[in-house]
Amino acid sequence: MTRRQLLAATAPAVAAVPLAKLALDKPAQAATPHVHYPGMAMDAPTHAAMHGHDVPAPGGPKALDDLLHPPPVLPHKPGRVREYELTAVDREIEVAKGVFFNAWTYNGTVPGPVIRATEDDLLRVNFTNGGSHPHTIHFHGIHPAGMDGVFEIVEPGGSFTYQFPARPYGMHLYHCHATPLKKHIAKGLYGAFIIDPPEPRPPAQELVMVLTGFDTDGDGENNFYGVNGPAFYYAKYPIRVRRSQTVRIYLANLTEFDLINSLHLHGDFFRYYPTGSSDHFEYTDTVMLCQGQRGIIEIDFAHTGRFMFHAHQSEFTELGWMGFFEVVD
Amino acid sequence: MDSAAHELPRGWRLWALLPLLLLVGVVAVFAASGTTLLDLVGRAPPPADLFDIRRVEFKPGEIRIRVTNPQRQELTIATVTVDDAIVPYTVDGSATLGRLRSSTIVVPFQWVEDDPYSVGVTSSSGIQSTFDVPAAVEARGASSRGFLGYALIGLLVGVVPVALGVGWLPSLRGSGPGWIAGFMALTAGLLSFLAVDALTEALDLQARLPSGFQGPGLILLGVAASYLGLTFVSQRFSAAAGRERSAPLEGVALATLVAIGIGLHNLGEGLAIGSSIALGELALGTFLIVGFMVHNVTEGLGIAAPIADGARASLGRLAVLALVAGAPAILGAWIGGFITSDVLGVLFFALAVGAALQVLVEVGRYVARRAPGGLRSGPVIGGYLAGIVVMYVTGLLVA
Repeated sequence: MTRRQLLAATAPAVAAVPLAKLALDKPAQAATPHVHYPGMAMDAPTHAAMHGHDVPAPGGPKALDDLLHPPPVLPHKPGRVREYELTAVDREIEVAKGVFFNAWTYNGTVPGPVIRATEDDLLRVNFTNGGSHPHTIHFHGIHPAGMDGVFEIVEPGGSFTYQFPARPYGMHLYHCHATPLKKHIAKGLYGAFIIDPPEPRPPAQELVMVLTGFDTDGDGENNFYGVNGPAFYYAKYPIRVRRSQTVRIYLANLTEFDLINSLHLHGDFFRYYPTGSSDHFEYTDTVMLCQGQRGIIEIDFAHTGRFMFHAHQSEFTELGWMGFFEVVD
Repeated sequence: MDSAAHELPRGWRLWALLPLLLLVGVVAVFAASGTTLLDLVGRAPPPADLFDIRRVEFKPGEIRIRVTNPQRQELTIATVTVDDAIVPYTVDGSATLGRLRSSTIVVPFQWVEDDPYSVGVTSSSGIQSTFDVPAAVEARGASSRGFLGYALIGLLVGVVPVALGVGWLPSLRGSGPGWIAGFMALTAGLLSFLAVDALTEALDLQARLPSGFQGPGLILLGVAASYLGLTFVSQRFSAAAGRERSAPLEGVALATLVAIGIGLHNLGEGLAIGSSIALGELALGTFLIVGFMVHNVTEGLGIAAPIADGARASLGRLAVLALVAGAPAILGAWIGGFITSDVLGVLFFALAVGAALQVLVEVGRYVARRAPGGLRSGPVIGGYLAGIVVMYVTGLLVA
């Protein structure tokens, strides 16, 4: 079976996801239940399924694991070197089922790899530009001007080593700062950058979520949205977490073109630490972020079951930015 | 003797194949060279990867989107959106379309009557083609009721007004030659109007076709085919009447030709009305129907005029003429209502242009010979202008 045939075969279920929500609001439709609730017997296969393998998301079940799970946290040890290799690569990636985008990537993925250090580590990032355009890496955080990735443009084939003590602790990000800036970010050159506090955070199930958008037809508006890349990915492959332990999400918004993005969790509340740089938190179920804004979410799930999370811009939700937590005991 | 001198041996005819064989050879060599030539002069831009969304139909619980691939390269349907939301869909046909191939995308959707919708189809390369529907109106499929409905519409805007117009015949009969010439000139005027009208429709429609269909060429083909076809028919009529082939037509033969020309125009008009209704683009109110009737009643007058100077015509013959001129509106309405093909629309209107022009020529020859003062007489000039003015003024009712 070719990819195209597969696409045609799975198409009916494609947008079941956004429609399911609509169906709830439409009493006129109630004669046939279109919504599938956990624990309920599956509807006839012709009905739009709300989640699972019929959701049109590209990639396999573990395709995004490296982006979802951060590298391990290390204890505080000032001066220790944390070294990362980043290479800019032009690459065609599948941003929605059957839709391919000529991206500019760090290490082949959008977003790029998660960079993690403990405060006072000496962060060393060896950057090679394997792409066809000049690029840089601009880190958020405190560092010398010469390490800011603004003036030291790395030409194709060139390289540069960024080295500075990692501080302050919190959830940060990195992205290319070559001009035109909008193009370099929209093409995919960005990623999450975590700095752990000297006093370690309590143990938790740690996840990284970078909010992404892709303008595949170049009209200055995103055609697809998602978390860590592909549209509807976590709707097809729900994130499995245990109720017994806190879920900690390192969240950053890197979507270009749109003024804001957001995250809304169904069925529960969470503590939101803006930028993760202090103990101050808000207890809520919805957070709003402009581009470059980020923070840390801590959820103690009260119930098991399948809980949706998505942008609370309905448009983004229905263009791919939605997923599920599968909460188990 | 002359022909014998130029006759070549039989085998020489085969030489005609030589250029073709050589062409095949040259093409093969060029094709084998890949992009070598292109690399010398530049680089081809990427394909636009835009679908041509031909038609969006709203059925109970679903939206049907007809898409065509207008470009040379293959195009694959990857994502479908309704109002910027990705929706599930199936493809009736192939999801990958070759050049000028079409498929229908079926989207299960609870749409809201009269609401505007924006439908988008995204190719595998991420390019989104959109189609805006100003107001969702349910499209009726092919049913016996719809069949009857379109037939009635065609009857009302085509057959009835033409038949009524033919009814002017008795009152025309008593007129003097000057008046008859005037009415024939009026017929010429209305045919000119119909030719321009049909040409405009054809040009407008062809502009919506993918360039691969070569709309202007299609129009030329239609115009030439109907013009020459009717020329052939009119010569047959002359021959049947036992007259010289080049003699101008008159009487029932000329009336028949006028009826054919008008009929071809009504075929296009019926198609336009039918497809507009089917796509929910036309508010088909009483006023519009009445407008078409008033507009088309003049066409009946055009058929009656050639018979008015004494030729005998039975009631049955007159009814046939009215049907020839009016009934194509019914056929057009069916085709437009159930198929809706812009290619057919362009072709039909082009046929109408050629027909109207040919009949215009025939009527002109008739008037030139029969009018008391020739083509430059007052009744002829006045009648011709009156024909255009009448069509223009009644056209305001349907514009």
